[in-house]
Amino acid sequence: MERFAGLLQQLPRHQGQMLRALHLAQAELGWISRDAIRLIARHLRVTEAQVYGPATFYAEFRHSPPPKTLVTWCSGPSCRVVGGDRVRRIFEAEFGCRLGENTPDDELGLWLGQCNGTCEKAPMVWVNGRVIGPLSMVESVKLARRLKQGEDPLTWPERPIKIAPATFVDAETTYGSEHAHDSTSDGAVS
Amino acid sequence: MSSAYEEIREAAELAAAPRRSPTRPLVRVDLSTSSVAAEADRLWEALPAPAAELDVDLMRVGTLGLSWLEPVVEVERPDMGAVVYGPVRPEQASEFLAAALGDNPTEQAAQWLIGARTPAPGIPALSDHPFWGPQERRLMQWMGVIDPESIDEAIAVGAYEALDHAVGMDPMAICDLVLAAGVGGRGGGGFPAGQKWKFLLGAPGPTKYLVCNADEGDPGAFVNRVLMESDPHLVIEGMAIAGKATGADYGFIYIRDEYPLSIARMELALEQARARGVIGQDIFGSGFDFDLEITRGAGSYVCGEETGLIASVEGLRGMPKIRPPFPAQKGVFSEPSNVNNTETYANVPLIVRNGAAWYRQHGTESDPGTKMFSISGALERPGILEVPFGMGMDELLLGCGGGPPDGHTPKGIQPGGPLGGLLPASDLGLKLERPPFTERGVLLGSGGLILFDERASAVDLTKYFSEFCEDESCGRCTTCHGGSQRLVEVLERIMHGDGRQEDLERIGAIDKTLQNANCLHGQFTPYAVRGLVNYFRDELDVHIEEKRDPARVAPGLTRYLITDQSDPALEEAAALCPTSCIARAPVEGAEDDDASEAQGDWRIHEPSCIHCDACREIAPDAIRVEDRFLTMLSVV
Repeated sequence: MERFAGLLQQLPRHQGQMLRALHLAQAELGWISRDAIRLIARHLRVTEAQVYGPATFYAEFRHSPPPKTLVTWCSGPSCRVVGGDRVRRIFEAEFGCRLGENTPDDELGLWLGQCNGTCEKAPMVWVNGRVIGPLSMVESVKLARRLKQGEDPLTWPERPIKIAPATFVDAETTYGSEHAHDSTSDGAVS
Repeated sequence: MSSAYEEIREAAELAAAPRRSPTRPLVRVDLSTSSVAAEADRLWEALPAPAAELDVDLMRVGTLGLSWLEPVVEVERPDMGAVVYGPVRPEQASEFLAAALGDNPTEQAAQWLIGARTPAPGIPALSDHPFWGPQERRLMQWMGVIDPESIDEAIAVGAYEALDHAVGMDPMAICDLVLAAGVGGRGGGGFPAGQKWKFLLGAPGPTKYLVCNADEGDPGAFVNRVLMESDPHLVIEGMAIAGKATGADYGFIYIRDEYPLSIARMELALEQARARGVIGQDIFGSGFDFDLEITRGAGSYVCGEETGLIASVEGLRGMPKIRPPFPAQKGVFSEPSNVNNTETYANVPLIVRNGAAWYRQHGTESDPGTKMFSISGALERPGILEVPFGMGMDELLLGCGGGPPDGHTPKGIQPGGPLGGLLPASDLGLKLERPPFTERGVLLGSGGLILFDERASAVDLTKYFSEFCEDESCGRCTTCHGGSQRLVEVLERIMHGDGRQEDLERIGAIDKTLQNANCLHGQFTPYAVRGLVNYFRDELDVHIEEKRDPARVAPGLTRYLITDQSDPALEEAAALCPTSCIARAPVEGAEDDDASEAQGDWRIHEPSCIHCDACREIAPDAIRVEDRFLTMLSVV
């Protein structure tokens, strides 16, 4: 939190920096907490409500701590026409939570993602940002079960399905090198 | 050419020379979002070792558009032109390099060979490839050829030359030139960009802003992403020229958060452009100042609407406002502003460099020039390409895209994103320009085209689009958020076998109401369902009258049945079922300790079945999906 407060000080103090500040909070803290909202409001010289509004309007911002393993289900039409909706039902049944929720122990979460245009991998999910697809329904069930057992899909010996790292933008590329933090930078541009 | 630009150009050409006319083999690796999803970054990590051994140079490039062949690699040899190969798996890196650099790549690297981008003896030209041949690559000319992370290479092929010319021009003359070229808003509106710029030029200053709409929210559209990832300087140059033409000295590029690589490459391009002085203070010694910043979106579709976008740039919730006032009167921070699509800005440097007449050589009267299209869905060859306006949709989707794979038949087309509507396969002959689409009650939109085949359900797709619109409604007007909620409810009911003929009237009433929504999001929401009623009426009637889903995807209208009890695969299917709804029925009279050996019939416990199809994948001969209501009738 102190780190975030420090980085926040480097942003110009006006409302136009709202999205930047919220992105910074999420990158640093993993989610937008009430404390973060208070800090942003003070720094940008707006009311807390003026921060709370955007923070809850945009789908990207989370209001609870992220799960350890986040499965993002692609909701795009290209996935839909090849069985994407079935993939969602499988993950919901296996995880025992609905779309947009975490499992009670916060180990796993199933969230909705918007089409990112890698439609030739449809149907797909992203596990902690990595595109995994095309998934058959059998593979979906197996993937969900392995994740439940706490396995990292990248360490599977036989790699039964295509797994490709997605492109992450870490704090370094977005906020300049002085803001770099220790997130994984798989596939980030040099 | 100003002396300042000449100096920059010469330095850049010098820096880029080794890659422009290679004296040793040069290997270009496509590193864009879609190729990275196909493990191009692993390939990129695997290549340096064999490349050093074979004494070749490696280079990162954007995409050529051949998405289905990713990861695509191009090998340019001094003794041979640039030859494109793909897909090259990471584990094949050294094997591939050796083959492509061997004496006879046509045979040795035959498994990867796609075609020669520049003439190479004995190798089929890429221009003869059905995907490549009909294209007219203007915006995409340097995509997949230059390194998007190096400004040297962009300048060496002519970037910022048009800006150098434009800073010496009269703003009105630039507006007139763009108006004469007839470039329309590429986001789908098609409003002449030159006209829009004149509004801003005429607005009182001194503060004016430009906004670039790169919030490409339409699922299935990735034109802007490819532009920003493969040739970011084209967009920056276009915006700087627009700045000169309209008197704006500051711009915002609003990029959606789902495009991290685009954000990173644009940030980098901006940094490099500032360092070179091609944007910033006193550009090329002309006294013209222009700078840009990137605003990162946060996952809101409605921010693609220009007033919503402006609200989002201002740090508010991205809720659209009623126009007027138009952005040219009151835009970002209440100052006069202009919003254009990324592709619109990218066209501007080409027009300034080549003139309006050149621009109009292709395209139609209503839509001059070329357009990038991203094609996906049930296609043999999904990807991104640039063709002249006015080309037949069949030529694009069936010719370039190869139509549906595995002999499936096209059923319909979904142009223009969730708000674009649906077209039946019989409309494949439509020309790709706005008027014929508008006449059919759909939108050409921003360039995404999704083909679907007979396996997809038009009703299910419509429900998906309506759900999307409901979800993404900003919530300001009841017409929109309430209307889309009712629409989803009606479609949901139909898909559960509870549809009635009155529902058609109800859909019509909702459609009418939604047309009174405040912004285009609400007004376009009923386009999908209107397409369903107009063009897929038969399918809808089967849902309503016969309680049957011909595509068998609606869980409410289908059921899974075990047809062969003896299939051993059922054991595995039962173990895999996510809800454990496949089990053997208890055998009557069996002793408790015999339970393990009791072999009752396999049953599917229907209330807990989630229709996920996993069991049928494992035991396709033993499990069948049936129409729920028809099966029950035949049983009785």
